Amino acid sequence: MLDEALRLENVYLSTSELSGTLFSIPRAVSYFENIRSSESNEDYQLIAGANLTLKLGETICIGGPSGKGKSAILRMIAGLARPLKGHIYYFGEYIPAERLTALEVAKRQVGYVLQNAALISNLRVIDNIALPLRYHKMGSDEEITKKVHMAMDLMRVRNFANMFPHELSVGMQKRVAIARSWAMDPKLLLMDEPTAGLDNYNRRNLLPLIDNMRTMFKTSIIIVTHDLMIAKELDCNLVFLHKKKLTEPHPFDYWLHSDSEISKDQFRDLQSVSPNT
Amino acid sequence: MQLKNWQKMTPIGRLFHTLGIFILKRRFGQLIALFLRTVASLFDNSHNFKSDSRNIILQTFFTGVEIFIPLFVVATLFGTVVIIEVLSLMGKMGFSDIVGNLMVVVIIRELSPILTAFLIAGRSGSSLTTYIGGMVINSEVDALATMGINPIRYLVMPSVIGGTIATIIMNIIFSASAIGAGFIVTKCIIFITGNAPNLQITWNYLSTEIIKALTIPDFVFAIVKPLVFGIIITINACYQALNINRDIRQAPKATSRSVITSFLYIVFADVVLSLFYFISYMQNLSTII
Repeated sequence: MLDEALRLENVYLSTSELSGTLFSIPRAVSYFENIRSSESNEDYQLIAGANLTLKLGETICIGGPSGKGKSAILRMIAGLARPLKGHIYYFGEYIPAERLTALEVAKRQVGYVLQNAALISNLRVIDNIALPLRYHKMGSDEEITKKVHMAMDLMRVRNFANMFPHELSVGMQKRVAIARSWAMDPKLLLMDEPTAGLDNYNRRNLLPLIDNMRTMFKTSIIIVTHDLMIAKELDCNLVFLHKKKLTEPHPFDYWLHSDSEISKDQFRDLQSVSPNT
Repeated sequence: MQLKNWQKMTPIGRLFHTLGIFILKRRFGQLIALFLRTVASLFDNSHNFKSDSRNIILQTFFTGVEIFIPLFVVATLFGTVVIIEVLSLMGKMGFSDIVGNLMVVVIIRELSPILTAFLIAGRSGSSLTTYIGGMVINSEVDALATMGINPIRYLVMPSVIGGTIATIIMNIIFSASAIGAGFIVTKCIIFITGNAPNLQITWNYLSTEIIKALTIPDFVFAIVKPLVFGIIITINACYQALNINRDIRQAPKATSRSVITSFLYIVFADVVLSLFYFISYMQNLSTII
């Protein structure tokens, strides 16, 4: 039990979760509405019966066609969306759906890099990275400053420390967001399209960073991506979202050579370019 | 077979549950729920006193300082008008002894809290809605929640407390400048026009009349009314902002809705709070009859 970071058991998710979380409405309302509509209508389900097990220190990539709920799965794991049915275990601990909120999940050191970096717009880059550390008083001032500088050095944003998020480009914002999540020392890191908007140089620099995190800090990582080559370069398993379910995890080469429908959809170009690899 | 939550309940429990969900689905119920959640967030375990107090002070200054000049001008001009009208009318009709009472009723009890609340709703309420609404659209609120920072504690609570403090202070400033600066402007008008309104007015007379007419409930309501109005404005603004559905077109709609519904709620709350005075008037009437 102790060696697993995350387990999804037979999870159902409603289509309304695509539109996002409303913090104005008490979560009890959406909970009871969801129960009612899920019983009446099958089309209401975005994900139906997904299973996933992630070991400690393991990295997994989730692929699949866009608009089928990959990001919604990450939102659900981060606690921003609530599953209709099913069980989610964080580090072997089950959180019932009534109590599954983002704050509850964040207590268990789950970091989340959003698709658009979502930096707090009235704080400078350095304050953005330091915000969670300062808010939760994770160490003294010097320790926090040291940690923030280390995070900025790792993602090469040290030169932009005193800029506001709107002065940065999209890719740079993304690097700051990754630095912010890294600085919190997450045990489970959820990344939504980490390489989208990054140039090849920074993409190549990001991959060793992810590699370092999982070897040195034993961070379990879930990456949602369309950039399937990441799975090959990180040597991790690939999972696809297919017919409202998550497939079994398999390495990149397995998918490349298999005859399944997913391989035909997603790997056609790669197969035709290099049939022997 | 496992029972659903609602199947475990007794019929009475189910009745209350249905009623609760019915209320929570209404906009007004959600507004009250947001207020209660804001109060509850004060007792959160994970909090940072330093950042909270900084946010509260920033919000107080944001709401208070920048509204000061328009509020001062409005208060002065309104005070002038009220002083001239009341004095000339009452002088003509021979009711000179109730001038102080009228001034207290018109300025301190009614106009000052309402006009302050309207000005703050128009300026701070709308900008608060746009600010938090922009954060919602950028999913910064989601990011805050996933970092373990309660967005209601971090965003809503400071604006409610800061906005309310600013409304209370601004209400006192409004009353003071309506009477004080209003008197000076009245004197100027008398001086410039060669006493065209035909008024005999001195500061001694005005101040003693007003102080005579002030009662303890007036002081209490000078705090209670702006307190309630400030809470209404800020909670409503935050609610409309958090209710935006990830759609940039919703932001201007939410802003205008926030201002208009704030006006409505303020007037309703004012009527409810003024019931206190109505009741005391009724008692006086019965003793007279």
